[in-house]
Parts: sequence; C-alpha cells; structure tokens
Amino acid sequence: MEEVSTVQRRGAFGRLYHGETSFDFMGKKKIGFTISLILILMTIGSLFTRGLNLGIDFEGGVAWQVPVTATMDTDAARTVLSSNGIEADNAKIQILTNGSTKSLRIQVGDQTPELQLKVKDDLAKASQTDANEVSVSSVSSSWGRSITEKAIRALIAFIVLVSLYIAWRFEWRMALAAILAMLHDVLISVGVYSLIGFEVTPATVVAFLTILGFSLYDTIVVFDKVKDNLEKFAGSRTSMANITNVSMNQVLMRSINTSLAAVLPVISLLVLGAGVLGAIALREFAIALLVGLLTGSYSSIYIASPLLSLIKEREVSFRNFRGSHAVGAELAHMVLSGTATGAKSVRRQASATDGTQTSILVPTSEALLTHPPRPRKKRRR
Amino acid sequence: MTRRLAISLTGLLVVVLGSFAGNLVAGNQPALGLDLQGGISVTQEPVGEFDSVSLDLAVERIRERIDSLGVAEPEIIRQGNAIVVNLPGVANQDEALRLVQVTGAVLLRPVLGSFQKGPTDPNAPSTTGNDSNPTTTVVSPDASGVTTTTLSGVTTTVAAVTTTLAGGPSRSLPVVASTVLGSSDSTDAPVTTLSGPTDTVVTTDDGSAPTEAPNALSPTTSIDPSNFFGDPSDPTAIIMVDNTDGSETYQLGPSFGTGEVFNNDAKADIIQSGWGVRVTLRSGTTGADVWNAAAAQCFAKTKVCPTGRMAIVLDGVVQSAPSVNQPSFSGGVDITGSFEESEAKDLARVLKSGSLPVRLEVQAVQFVSPTLGEDSLHAAVISGLIGVALVLLFMLLYYRSLALVVVLGISLSGLTQWNVISLLSSTNGLALSLSGIAGIIVSVGVTVDSYVVFFEKLKDELKTGRSLKNSAERGFKSAWRTILAADIVSLIGAFTLWYLTVGSVRGFAFFLGLSTMCDIVIAWFFTRPAMLLLSRNKRLQRGRFFGIDNTVQPVGGA
Repeated sequence: MEEVSTVQRRGAFGRLYHGETSFDFMGKKKIGFTISLILILMTIGSLFTRGLNLGIDFEGGVAWQVPVTATMDTDAARTVLSSNGIEADNAKIQILTNGSTKSLRIQVGDQTPELQLKVKDDLAKASQTDANEVSVSSVSSSWGRSITEKAIRALIAFIVLVSLYIAWRFEWRMALAAILAMLHDVLISVGVYSLIGFEVTPATVVAFLTILGFSLYDTIVVFDKVKDNLEKFAGSRTSMANITNVSMNQVLMRSINTSLAAVLPVISLLVLGAGVLGAIALREFAIALLVGLLTGSYSSIYIASPLLSLIKEREVSFRNFRGSHAVGAELAHMVLSGTATGAKSVRRQASATDGTQTSILVPTSEALLTHPPRPRKKRRR
Repeated sequence: MTRRLAISLTGLLVVVLGSFAGNLVAGNQPALGLDLQGGISVTQEPVGEFDSVSLDLAVERIRERIDSLGVAEPEIIRQGNAIVVNLPGVANQDEALRLVQVTGAVLLRPVLGSFQKGPTDPNAPSTTGNDSNPTTTVVSPDASGVTTTTLSGVTTTVAAVTTTLAGGPSRSLPVVASTVLGSSDSTDAPVTTLSGPTDTVVTTDDGSAPTEAPNALSPTTSIDPSNFFGDPSDPTAIIMVDNTDGSETYQLGPSFGTGEVFNNDAKADIIQSGWGVRVTLRSGTTGADVWNAAAAQCFAKTKVCPTGRMAIVLDGVVQSAPSVNQPSFSGGVDITGSFEESEAKDLARVLKSGSLPVRLEVQAVQFVSPTLGEDSLHAAVISGLIGVALVLLFMLLYYRSLALVVVLGISLSGLTQWNVISLLSSTNGLALSLSGIAGIIVSVGVTVDSYVVFFEKLKDELKTGRSLKNSAERGFKSAWRTILAADIVSLIGAFTLWYLTVGSVRGFAFFLGLSTMCDIVIAWFFTRPAMLLLSRNKRLQRGRFFGIDNTVQPVGGA
C-alpha cells in the first residue's frame, strides 16, 4: 500500500514527469476533430476569398528599395511609378524599418529590364540619393512559375516517398494517418498566412517544409510507441483506442519536451532576432515556424493518433472493441503496467472498495516487465 | 564491451576535434551566403534551343569574367539549367548585371591589327600590324597546294594606326607560338602546316582570289579612340580585345558572321602531325556562303581584313586568330598551329558552343544591402545561441546532471557541422545562408529530441526495476530505433527538396540533411558510449544523477 500512496501523492507535474498520466485523449477526439475542422474550413474559405499574398519570387515582379529621405515618401514613389507608365495603384509600398534606417519597398508586377533601370534612376533622383543606394530585385514571371512548380513537385515527391517509407517501416495505416496529420498542419499554417495576409516568400516555404518534417517526426515518435504497445498488448483483448491512449500518455512528456525544445529557439528568433534586434528577414521565417510547430505538436496528439486509431479499429482484432475504451484508474493502470486488465474486473473492484485504490492498481514487478530482470547477484564484485 | 565503447567515444572525439583543428590550421571558415553578407544574386536561364556544352561554357565564361574582376568569393551554381551567380559584397547592380550576361555567341571578326603586350609597356595603346605573329592558320582540309600566301608584309598599311608604336616590330613571340608565319621582314618562312594532304575529301578551288595587299585601309576608323572601346557584344563595332591569356591585344573590325556558320561538330584532332581543330561548314546562305565571303576578304587582305587573319571571338575574348590560307572553302575548315592538345580541345569546344549559342535570360535579380545582411547575421546568431541556451537550461532543469551529456552532444554536433560547412565552403563553394542558419537552429530541436526519447525510455526501463546499466542498454536500443525512423523521414525530406528545388529551399534542405546526419552520428558514436559508460560507473548509480529518483525502488519493487 505504501507504493500506492507514492503514486497518489504526486502532483500533476510529478505524474507528468514520471509518465503516469492518464489523460483520456481518445475521449476528447471529437473536440480535437471539431476544432481542426473549423480551422480547415476557415482556411479554405480564406483561401478562396482572400487568397495568398504571394511574394515576387512566386508571381514574378520587381521590387525597388529606396532609402526614405526628405523628398522620398510613399506619394513620391507613386509619382515616379506613374510617370513611368506603371499603375501606381497596384503597387505594394511598404516602409521597412531596420534599426535606425528606414527604407521604402515598392513592389509591382513584371517589367522590362530597361524600365526597371529607368525607375531605379528616377527613384534615386527623386530621393536625392546615389543610384547605388536604390536596389532592384526582380523575378520574371516565368521563373516565378517554375519555382512554384518545382516546389509543388518536390512536395508531392516528398509525400510519396515518406508514405512509402512509413508504410514499409510501420504500416500503411500509420502512413495514411501521419500524412493526413501533416497536411492538416500545412493547411492550417497556410490558413493563418492567408487570414493575416502575411507575404509568402521563399523563407516561408522553407519554414513550411520544416513544419512538414517536424510534424512527421513528432508523429512517428508517437507511432513508434503505438507499434511497441501493439506488440505488448497483442495477447490481451483490448480496444485500439486503449492502446492509443496508453501510448500517448506514455510519450506525453516526450512530446511536451520536444515541442518545448523546438519552440524555444524559434521564440528566441522571433522575440530577440526579429523583435529586439530588428532583423526583418527572420520575422517571416519565425512566425511561420511558430505557427507550424504549435499545430504540429497539437496534431500529433489530437489528430494523427486518433486518426490512426479510427483506421485501425476496422481491423479484425479490434473490431469487437470499437467505441469502448478505458478511462481513469483503469487507463492509469494500463499506462503504468503496460498490460491490459479486464475492464469489468477493474470496475467491479473499484466500486467494491468505493474510491480507495485496490491492490489491482498496484502493478507488481512481474506485471511491469515484459520479461523478468536477470536475478541479482548476491554479492557485488 | 567497455573497451569498444571507449574506443568509439575517443574515436569520435579525435575525429571531430582533429578535423576542427585541421580546419582552423587551414583557415577554413564557413562562407557566408549573400543574404548574410549583402550583395547581388542573378539567376539566368537559357531560352530556346541550346547545347549543354555551350551552357557549361557559359558558366565558365561567367566565372572567368568574375574572377578577372576580383570579386571575393563569388558563388556560381548550376541548378538544373539555371545559372545562379551570387556576388557577395558587390554593390553596383548595373555592373553586376553586365558582368554576368554572357551571350555565348562566337563572332568571326577580321583582325585589323594586333600587338603583344610586352613586359616594358603593356598598356601602350598602339596597334601595330607590323609585329603581328599569326599563331594559327585556317586551311581547307585538302589544301595541299596552298603556299605561304598569307605571309608577306601586307600589314604595313595598318601602320597608319600606330601613332605610338611601342617596342618596334620584333617583339617576343606569343605564348602560343605556332608555325611562325613570320613577321613583315621574314617573308621567306614557309607555312609548314600546309604540307601534306589530309584524308578529308573536300574539294576546294585553291587561290582563285588575287593575293594583293590592301592599299586603302581607312586609318580614321581605327584611330578614333571611341572605337577602341566599342562594346564587344556589338557585332558592328570596332573593338579592342585580348586573347585568352591576355598576351596579345587585337583590334577587330565588324563581325563577318557568328559561329553559327559551323556545324555543331568541331573536334580537336591531329592534323598534319600537330593538334588542330576540324569543323564542317553549315551549307547554304547561313553557313558556307558567309564563311567563304569572309575568307575571300581575308585571303585577299582587302581593307576590311587587312591582316588576312580572322579572329574567333567569344564574349569579347579572342580565342584564336588564324590566318586564312584560302579564299574559298567547301565542306570543312581546319585550324592548325602549334596547339597543345588541351588548347585544341578548348577551341573545339568554343566552336561547338558557338554553332548553337545559348541565349541566357535574366530570370531573377536579388539585392541585399550589406548592412541588412550583417544585421540579419548578428540577429540570427545571437538569438539562435540564446535559443539553444534556453533549451539547454530547460534540459538541465528537467534531467539535472544528465543534461551534461546533452550539452556535450550538442556541442559536438555543432562542431561537426562547423567542420563540414567550413570544408565544403573552401572546396565546393558552399555558403551558409540565412535559411541555412535557421535550419540548423531548428534542427537543435530535433537533436534534443533524440536525447529526450532516449532519456524517457531510460526512465521507463528504470521504473520497471532494472539496473541502471541494463536500463541504459535496453533504453538506447529501443530509442535508437525511434531516432533512426524519425531521422530517416527527415533525410528523405531533405534529399527530395535538395534534388527538386532551387534557391533558398535547396540551401535549407542541405543544412537540414547535414544536421540530421550529424544527429545520427552523434547518437551512435557519442551518446551511446557516453551513456553506457556512465551507467556502469558505480558512483553515479546512486543519487539523482539521472534525474530519476532511483534510490527509492519504484512501485512494486519493495
């Protein structure tokens, strides 16, 4: 009985730390699915109504960057554009602040090289600076298209290869669940970009790809545990939901730790790098990463694993247990012992002793081990 | 077993620290990408039909031009067919654009005059036709009967140009001294390359055009200084350009035609016991007709082509300036001279690419101001390091002394990456970009995760009542499977992206792949032996060294 009280004395963090939590993730899968569904619907709606704010690297176009001076401001820039026959209304003009210097970024569609230089000179004249102070970045629309095409092709190849690998290393059901969860992450991240109207640059794409990788990585670690437990629980007749729940509780601390370890540097990039030190280039990257890492951590718990469970429940060995899963003390026992208990026996005993934990919840060392430890030698050398 | 672990651990330390020292001694450092250093990036892609040889040649030409300008650490990357040129530290955009735009077009221009750059006065703006030493000759493959018609002092008329004739007529021979066709005062030198018929059955009528020295070279056109600096890419301009090794400067007239008069079959061959280049002419008005019109002019040494030499010019550099030995060619052209084998091959390549020139179009231009780049670098490095420090602090709080293994492992992993990046920077021109740095920072999360996976498994094993030594072994075994599975997914992603994309995504993919591989290597060669050895240490078996209270036996163990 002594040991039981140790378990009970632990606070929430203690249980988390020792991997003894018994959260009923599967019971809350509907909440998770609903939230995700709403987010995905919002994403799709936003993509159709607002679209994505694609940078010049994908659409093609020209961007001039000119220092803000006494004679150069947004209006002056528009004047220069219209005097060169470029529609100033369609131009995106932003003021960039980098430390103490301010500059104007003027972005329009694809223009001929001659016109690009002409506008550059005119801008320099208007701002009364040297022409070298004005920079031009340009991407032809055909190049932008080919970049986008290549990225999409790479993405499809990536998904196919990874699915094949997971299907081979684990099983196809896991591949399906992992890929669906990954698509979910990307979709929601894209939705955030569309809703807020952040510009999508190559850095953003890089960040999204990182998210893909991370989301998969996270999911695979959970699935690896599920695979372990599938073998462990193979003899005991229990539902897939139980196995998933047990696995997730067992890797919960790892998931939290890993997510924290991944998010901390990103937050540092965002707050320190982009915020305090003012590196604009880092900001877009860090925001995309942060959004993606958060959805990635969320989806590996609330989307990938429940999905896997739903898919696997169709299998013969789990079909009979569909829809039933253990909660509370029974779940805690399974998490701790790694063995299933007859659901009825636990419930019966639990009600008999009326709340106080019974001996069945105290796993013996035999129950804890998949095979008994080697007998200790009597005397140490 | 213990010994093997110790060997693995020391082996890794020796390799990592050794290569670190090696890199330090060799002065290798990670090169910084454009976005961290400031500069200009230009992406070009060929349009229309082109030859892969000419694309290679275009890349080489761009490299030569940039090298000759002394841009520090330029980066020229082929990505598929696209050519990306990164010029760090270059601020003048127009200059950069001009620099990288090579046409690959080979022009055939008459030599109006030439002089060698002597050691005494290399910059003398003189154009002395007198001391021109034609290094090569152009003959029809079967031109057995043609004699030294190109020799005589025909170039004397060009002397009108030599307002400041420096050095006199007899200067040192050009580096590629071939069959010395003689200067103006040695007209008796025979053209040795012309003896002996070749196998090629090409019939030409020899020497129908009269050999007469041009008498009316208009000096005004060549004296006008503005013409000296005509744009080499303008076919109609009169230009002053050097040959490939810069030993000789030529004044060249308006172009007769392009390299497209030849078929795409130029090859280096042994012609008359020496290396030469053999190429066939395209038939019809665009090929042989153009060439023969030009050859007739040069053979006759009319005022258009007073020296009788025809320069083969690629992007403003004279590749070869052979004398024309026949007024008319049919079928093929041989270029002979005392070529080295490699020189003949280079010329053949030039002609080959010139016959199907690649037209490069600028697809993207990117400009990063140096201050912006520097700021980004500082911000990325500082915030990245602080981020890593935060992660390590968190590890320390959570796993206590065990976090020391994490700290060491991450340091080793970082060191390994620094080594690889430094080495590749100096050998393969790899540059660390902002997205690369970000990729590395993010990969810290993945690296830390392998430790978390391992430590959590270790805790599980300990909880079941196993000894520390046993738990470490079993824990690593199962963690290794998980780490490997997850890392392989990352690697698949990295390779796919690296292979299929361009630009910054590609850079990111490279660094993601690199850090993932480091993770695997460090996990096996450092974490495993370190942890297994630690777990055998009896003094560490007590207390909370492993962040786990294993002095109190877990449930059921009492």
